[in-house]
Amino acid sequence: MVNELLKEFHEIAASPKAQMDRYLAEGRKVVLTAPVYTPEELIHSMGFVPFGAWGADTELKRAKEYCPAFLCSIVQSILELGMTDVYKGASAIVIPSLCDTLKTLGENWKYAVKDIPFIPMTYPQNRKPEFGMNFTIAGYERVKADLEKLGGTFSNEALAHSNEIYNRHNKAMRDLDEVLARHPEVGAAARSDVFKSAWFMDKAEHTELVEKLIDALKNQEAGEAKLPVLVSGILTDAPGLNEILDDLGMHIVADDVAAQSRQYRTDVPAGDDALKALAQKFSGMDNCSVLYNQEKPRIKWIADTAKARGAKGVIVVMTKFCDPEEFDYPLIKKACDAADIPVAIVEVDRQMEHYEQVRTNLETFRDILMM
Amino acid sequence: MAEEVKKAPRPVDPNSAKYKLGKIAGDAYANAIEAKKAGKPVAWVSSNFPVEIPETLGLYTVYPENQAAGIAARGAGERMCNVAEADGYSNDICAYARISLAYAKLKECPEQDVAMPDVLLCCNNICNCMIKWYENLSQELGIPMIMLDIPFNPDYEPSRAIIDYVGAQFWDAVHKLEALFGIKWDDEKFKAVTEASCRSSRAWLEATAQAKYTPSPFNGFDLLNHMAVMVTARGKEEAGEAMETLLKEYKENHENGTSTFRAEEKYRVMFEGIACWPYLRATSRGLKDRGINMVTTIYADAFGFDYSSFDEMIAAYCSVPNAINLEKSRDKRIKLCKDNNVEGLLVHTNRSCKLWSGFMPEMSRQIGEACDIPVASFDGDQADPRNFSEAQYDTRVQGLMEIMESNKEA
Repeated sequence: MVNELLKEFHEIAASPKAQMDRYLAEGRKVVLTAPVYTPEELIHSMGFVPFGAWGADTELKRAKEYCPAFLCSIVQSILELGMTDVYKGASAIVIPSLCDTLKTLGENWKYAVKDIPFIPMTYPQNRKPEFGMNFTIAGYERVKADLEKLGGTFSNEALAHSNEIYNRHNKAMRDLDEVLARHPEVGAAARSDVFKSAWFMDKAEHTELVEKLIDALKNQEAGEAKLPVLVSGILTDAPGLNEILDDLGMHIVADDVAAQSRQYRTDVPAGDDALKALAQKFSGMDNCSVLYNQEKPRIKWIADTAKARGAKGVIVVMTKFCDPEEFDYPLIKKACDAADIPVAIVEVDRQMEHYEQVRTNLETFRDILMM
Repeated sequence: MAEEVKKAPRPVDPNSAKYKLGKIAGDAYANAIEAKKAGKPVAWVSSNFPVEIPETLGLYTVYPENQAAGIAARGAGERMCNVAEADGYSNDICAYARISLAYAKLKECPEQDVAMPDVLLCCNNICNCMIKWYENLSQELGIPMIMLDIPFNPDYEPSRAIIDYVGAQFWDAVHKLEALFGIKWDDEKFKAVTEASCRSSRAWLEATAQAKYTPSPFNGFDLLNHMAVMVTARGKEEAGEAMETLLKEYKENHENGTSTFRAEEKYRVMFEGIACWPYLRATSRGLKDRGINMVTTIYADAFGFDYSSFDEMIAAYCSVPNAINLEKSRDKRIKLCKDNNVEGLLVHTNRSCKLWSGFMPEMSRQIGEACDIPVASFDGDQADPRNFSEAQYDTRVQGLMEIMESNKEA
């Protein structure tokens, strides 16, 4: 049962285009959601299928007409897919401006991909005080108005319902993360598939499938112990990377990955005003390189979680040219050193074809951890 | 062997704008160092943080971007970057940030020492990189950080929502600083500071606009030096006076047919991006030797903080170059090109600045078309000397010049 479900997740994760075409064929409208956080609940409540747009492992050709080489390849490959019609059929793309490169993506998108409208989502960094919450709501109002132009309709009831669907999905993903920490037999590639598929599915459908997987795992005896590690980064879905983690017998017992668990840590609180409640969710979010916090609690979170989950080491998967993550790394290293947790850093990007350097680095890291 | 005899620098007239502006910039560093010794609070401040706040509250200020530019111009950029990189900072990170984080560790750099801070005043209207840089300074130095968030505006004009959000943060920052240092906001002083800031801005805008004359009464590289005062001291009375002196000199240059561009002005270009501080001389010479005067840059517009109400002040801070969308950024540059009879656009693709460079290819295409001028770009960096090639720069400038030449002939 577990293997069958994992196969299903893999098929979805490996063929987002087929997923998107399926929704379009069903007559549903798809709205692309760019990294790192978009108000998916709002988009969903207005009758659209939010569909993750984190680019793809692909050679950059057309994007170079717009982007200097030193922009991160996630953003460049999103533009590449837009320019080469891979996202054709989508009603719009929502791009939040949480990092400098994402700001430029929206501006370039307007001229590079004219048939898919750009909807900006502007978040406050001072998101906790009331004035910040009001600005978050203003950002949602802007998205809402743009989606209305595309035929979407808003109601408080529909948003409250979508908030519930997303909260249930969040819980399922958090539960899954805990269960997977006790099941080393589910490798890094399979784990990545489960998280990645969430971006390409209606969340109610994905929740159902994840809950089935959790039940199946609970009824399955845990496999032989492997080397427990915590993985941190923006995106870790590259097959070349996950193959190495699996070859080296590493077991991801927790992740601090933006495209994975960071999405599911915070729920929408209860409240009569569903839009305000959604803004409260954003104000409650933290522990992320693109969300300002003077105390940088993410650093401690990584060291504490590694300890709590029994990770023997932390692997930082650095997306080349990602400023926010690059600034956090020296502090992560320092905090883990102080907590006696070894750290390895490997650099990846979406254009990588050869992972030998990553393999050598992680082989050495494994040997250190096994000593 | 006899030692090389250096020529003594020509004395600078104490009544000149150059002297006055240099003194203001130098005094700002020295005053902060003295204040620190006397136990007074010092703030490290982002370049486009509302200067009205520290100035009204009487805080002594240091501008790390300005410091990093000075360090880079004096040849120590790579040495300082290496210190940060040895601590794990990627060499992909903004070189100003690397230099500043290295300084926070070493607490000395003979090329430009500054007073160490008691508080950090961060504003991200220039980039979000600033947030990460200041978060790390806050952690490494164990001092508070005040974050004034001015998000990138995807629309042409600032919305009511953004004005309200930034306005609320302005007063929140004031109250936090009052509580931190036991100081008091004074409305009268605020009024005086805003008047001084507007006076400096008006004079700066008018002085830079003198490039409308052909030949221009100044070399645009002057602006790169003089803007230090606009960054660090525009809220001071003496800054307004010095800027007015600058304006007067430029007007006199025009009337007398003279210029600080010490060559025949054959071509006029707009320079786009932050200066290549480690190669200021090489980049300047590459233009001057060909008779190309850089007559304008977006800096001419960037410090136009002229306003008549609180909301207008907030709107001005929401409208600085890196906080506005492509269309508004483009239109500001088109205006500068047209107002100043620009014949070519030279773009610095700055390895340190993803935001500034990230939509530059599309924007510069649009500017080139709208103004019917050629565009050339070169790779460089604002402070890390490893990311610039003089040969590439020379080739690109030569290419630009040849197109401008053939345009003249046509």
